[in-house]
Amino acid sequence: MTPQQLSRIREEFTREGVMICFNGAFAHTIIEEIGNALRRYLQDQEEQKSAALDVFAVYIEQAQNIRAYLARKQFREPGAGNAIIVIARQGERYVVSSGNIVAAPDQPALAGRLEQIRGSDAAGLKRMFKERLRSDERSPGGGAGMGLIEVARRCTQPLEYAFHSVDADHSFFCLTAVV
Amino acid sequence: MDLNIARTGTTPEVRWDPAAGVLSISGESYPENSFDFFAPVQQWLSMSLATLPGLRVEVSVSYMNSSSIKCMLDIFDALGDAHAAGKKVDVVWNYETDNPRALDLAEEFRSEVSFPFLVHALGS
Repeated sequence: MTPQQLSRIREEFTREGVMICFNGAFAHTIIEEIGNALRRYLQDQEEQKSAALDVFAVYIEQAQNIRAYLARKQFREPGAGNAIIVIARQGERYVVSSGNIVAAPDQPALAGRLEQIRGSDAAGLKRMFKERLRSDERSPGGGAGMGLIEVARRCTQPLEYAFHSVDADHSFFCLTAVV
Repeated sequence: MDLNIARTGTTPEVRWDPAAGVLSISGESYPENSFDFFAPVQQWLSMSLATLPGLRVEVSVSYMNSSSIKCMLDIFDALGDAHAAGKKVDVVWNYETDNPRALDLAEEFRSEVSFPFLVHALGS
């Protein structure tokens, strides 16, 4: 990357209020360290404990969801095991965005789940969360399948998402959560 | 039977105090694999509940990821079964008043169980 390109990225990050951005292979230790950095940042901003915890929790669920999914999939294509996570402050809100490759056959189920979550109010999300809590079924990532619901419960706006086709077998899945 | 798991960056301390009859879980819980972390706790609990007349679980956890929440419910379910079988079990859930999310979580757990579940506010 040229110095000019780097400057442009930096300018864009500054304009968007980006606090932390990571793009690469998502190991558990990296997730933990970024989480620690995020907490220190929120502490420095003197955010209320509960607000800071919401941002942290949304980050953790998104990051761990992606990590579990990519670990299970073991994509062989170059760069397909990488993920991007961006945490930005926009006015009074924090925005946690993430992106990762998903296998095309997994897309409909994921989109369906997200639509269901987007269509639910707080009471509905609580109900969904409890159902998942009581279900023995594992999500495609191998987790309890409660991560996205937990993210939505801590958000102040409906989750936004998109899939961008990469090739016939893969899409790039983007998720934006506003806390 | 001993149980003593030290706290790490992403996992809580889990400690059995045989004199007090209290299993305490304190810290934060967001390991990569919550099921792996809680498996020995679950195992210890089922063996102990088979032999002891009862026990208390004291939870002081300020943050749990969703899979830890699921594991915690499994622990409470094991306590519920013991309670139904006549054992004396209860839970004390400590939360800090400036962390309302921990209170919400405690209330959600409480609505899932049928044994004594005390939610206790700690001044901060």
